Amino acid sequence: MNYIFHIVIMINIYIILCVSTNLLVGMTNLLSLGQAAFYGIGAYIAVLSLMILNLPMIPTILLVMIGTAIASLLIAYPSLRLKGDYFVLATLGFQLIFFTILYNWVSVTRGPYGIPGIPSPKLFGIISISGLIPFLILSSIFSVLIVFIFFKLVHSPFGRVLKGIRDDEIAVLSLGRNVTSFKIWAFVISSAFIGIGGFIYATYVSYIDPTSFNLDEAIFILAALLIGGTGNIKGPVVGAVFVVVLPELLRFVGFPDSVAANLRQIVYGLTLIILMRYRPQGLAGDYKLQ
Amino acid sequence: MFLQLLVNGIAMGSIYALVSLGFSLVYNTTRIFHIAYAVLYMFAPYMILTFYRNLGIPFYIAFPIAILLTIFLSVLMELIIYRPLSRKKSSSTVVLISSIGIMIVVINLIAMFYGNETKILNPNISKSISFGNIIITHSQLFQLIISILAISTFLVFLKFSKFGIKTRAMRDDNVLCAVFGMNINKMRLVLFMLSGFFAALGGGLVAYDVGMDPYVGMPMLLNAVVALIIGGMGRFEAPIIGGFIIGILQAMAVWTFSSRWQDAVTFTLLILFLLFRPQGLIGEKERAV
Amino acid sequence: MSDYILEINSVKKSFVRNRVNIRGEGEDERFFILDGLDINIERGKITALIGGNGAGKTTLFNAISGLAKVNSGEILYRKGNKTISIVDLPSYKITRLGIGRMFQDDHIFPDLSVLDNMMLADSDTFGEFPFISILKSSESRRIEKYKIKKVKNVFISLFGKENFFWEKRNEPAKSLSFGQQRLLGLARLFMGDYKLVLLDEPTAGVNPLIINQIINIVRQMVKEKNLTVFLVEHNMEVVLKLTDYCNFMSHGKIAVFGTPEDVIGNDEVRKTYMGI
Repeated sequence: MNYIFHIVIMINIYIILCVSTNLLVGMTNLLSLGQAAFYGIGAYIAVLSLMILNLPMIPTILLVMIGTAIASLLIAYPSLRLKGDYFVLATLGFQLIFFTILYNWVSVTRGPYGIPGIPSPKLFGIISISGLIPFLILSSIFSVLIVFIFFKLVHSPFGRVLKGIRDDEIAVLSLGRNVTSFKIWAFVISSAFIGIGGFIYATYVSYIDPTSFNLDEAIFILAALLIGGTGNIKGPVVGAVFVVVLPELLRFVGFPDSVAANLRQIVYGLTLIILMRYRPQGLAGDYKLQ
Repeated sequence: MFLQLLVNGIAMGSIYALVSLGFSLVYNTTRIFHIAYAVLYMFAPYMILTFYRNLGIPFYIAFPIAILLTIFLSVLMELIIYRPLSRKKSSSTVVLISSIGIMIVVINLIAMFYGNETKILNPNISKSISFGNIIITHSQLFQLIISILAISTFLVFLKFSKFGIKTRAMRDDNVLCAVFGMNINKMRLVLFMLSGFFAALGGGLVAYDVGMDPYVGMPMLLNAVVALIIGGMGRFEAPIIGGFIIGILQAMAVWTFSSRWQDAVTFTLLILFLLFRPQGLIGEKERAV
Repeated sequence: MSDYILEINSVKKSFVRNRVNIRGEGEDERFFILDGLDINIERGKITALIGGNGAGKTTLFNAISGLAKVNSGEILYRKGNKTISIVDLPSYKITRLGIGRMFQDDHIFPDLSVLDNMMLADSDTFGEFPFISILKSSESRRIEKYKIKKVKNVFISLFGKENFFWEKRNEPAKSLSFGQQRLLGLARLFMGDYKLVLLDEPTAGVNPLIINQIINIVRQMVKEKNLTVFLVEHNMEVVLKLTDYCNFMSHGKIAVFGTPEDVIGNDEVRKTYMGI
């Protein structure tokens, strides 16, 4: 039973990550390889807030969102001037620089040793969230809330403009909308909420190190989004469930231990190839990436 | 000291140039962000391992066999993955994810059969020669000589054959080329073969020097990409120049900061170029129409 | 004195292209696609721009809309009693000043519904700020309803009470036929607050029935919305039927200007452009 709670908590975290990334990648068609960086920034800011500033939970969350938003603004502004592949490469560059700084600036981030003993967040300063069931409740509340927020965003006039940008940037420009500022909004909003995912992860696992937020993780989040499907809300949710549950299911398949991990990865890689080939709209998406 | 660093940098740079050239052959012409290329770089050394160390075949035969097998793998990727997607006019995101998928599959297959740990190809310590107080290992010499040989041969071939013009035309307008009778598919096969060749060459040369593990592909690919950006897109000389520059700068960085920050230097360079000089040093500016 | 809504003065635009010279090598050459262009667009009239393919007509439109930068010259826009230079303005700001555009390949949003295509063209952008629809949800919903009504009225005034577009309003725009997509592109221009619209080959590639509809729509633009229309056309019948003035563009300049009959009857035009 504990095992199932753990899976659900991880699913919730990935729902938050995928639904947020969808705003940028799926709705505005801005492929970014840097989302794990904001996941990490959220986590490390949470640590700063909880362990050094000793703030209770809600101020911590606000700090995480604001901090991540500012960081993403700094990255978005120069990157969005670049077109197409150059933009993707810029996000890749930032993801790599971020990881390198996290890993090597040992004096601040403790580098590869990581930060253990992250305390439980204290709601209103008194109720301490620790243990499986409280985190199950916390992560579920957040994931439902965030899914709701993004659902509203996707189906709002703002979402309409983003979809227009996805279809045809020039047309949106010619209709009098400042496309760049919309792209920046998409970038910042998606990053801020990804940061919340980082907060939950950091406090749940109570230990973080840079390897949880590297390029592999960025690719993982992206793949989850594409497997589930982009453009709507169902897709990312399905994708998050899939990528968390699949490895666990494969655990029960009788792979010999020594190669189990590799075989799970192979199944995962084959899934990507087959889906992109035969069903690029993902399992539940409504937009065929073109 | 400086000269020693320069030598180290040039030796490493020659490998970056080689590998980056292979990547650019595919990217410049087909616009495919061929992430799976990282795997080709890693695949060749393991083939050498099988034939040279496990089967006892002499190195100078095992290496070419490995190169051929890598070329074969590269062509396989084009035929099975990229070409069908290109026919469907898939978006670059879809192609990228598929490329990542192949990469994951091959890396884990290798890890499954050979293990995750570092393997060595050459159990002996590499001999070296010295010029004054500059030491060059035999491996470095091999890397330098073979890379430069391969690159020069390619550049000459590019200049004096219709191949160069054809690839430039391909980049500019695929459909138009097909209309004029250019066999795009055949061209793509040739490009993927050459690409595999360069990756295998680079991979083998480095692995002979320092060994390999299933995960060496990605860091090398990143360096290749940065070399491409710094050099500029569009011209095949560009990644070569970029490769040498990165090699030298990294060597300097190791001396100035420490090897830890080597990567940071590379990636900062990437960002700086993307922001301030996206066309690279000798790349072509986007046509303004 | 004529009231000009748009004045284009000595506009030049060049780009570098790679040509193969006599030695068989590629060399870069600076090519002036707009070479000192002077055009005045009279308010309230329909003005045509004709010329051979590649003469630079779309480039000129891009320059006016802010999608392309000019090398030198001036483009002045007269709004009310203000004269605004629009050469260096970003494209979305030029639209907001009241200059609308329809492109050669429509540029409608294929995956968005017909209704969404129209809504995105509305000049009122309330609700497009990210969280407004959540924070001010009732006002936001009210404005959305108002916009939808506006779309319905535009469709009715253009296409009649039982019109196809309103019926198909929730279908993706890509499901429309080519001609219908063209009409949608034109209809979009009725949602904005425009004073001048640029139409790039509005009748290209569609059947004669639709061409007639387009002609009527353009007339409606002038009559009902007091728009000034500047259009590029290759169909001389349309030019003769619809337009008040005509500019013939050649070698980056305006070679002939006058009424459509004058221009089309002009010897040089007949020889170089129409091959007569």
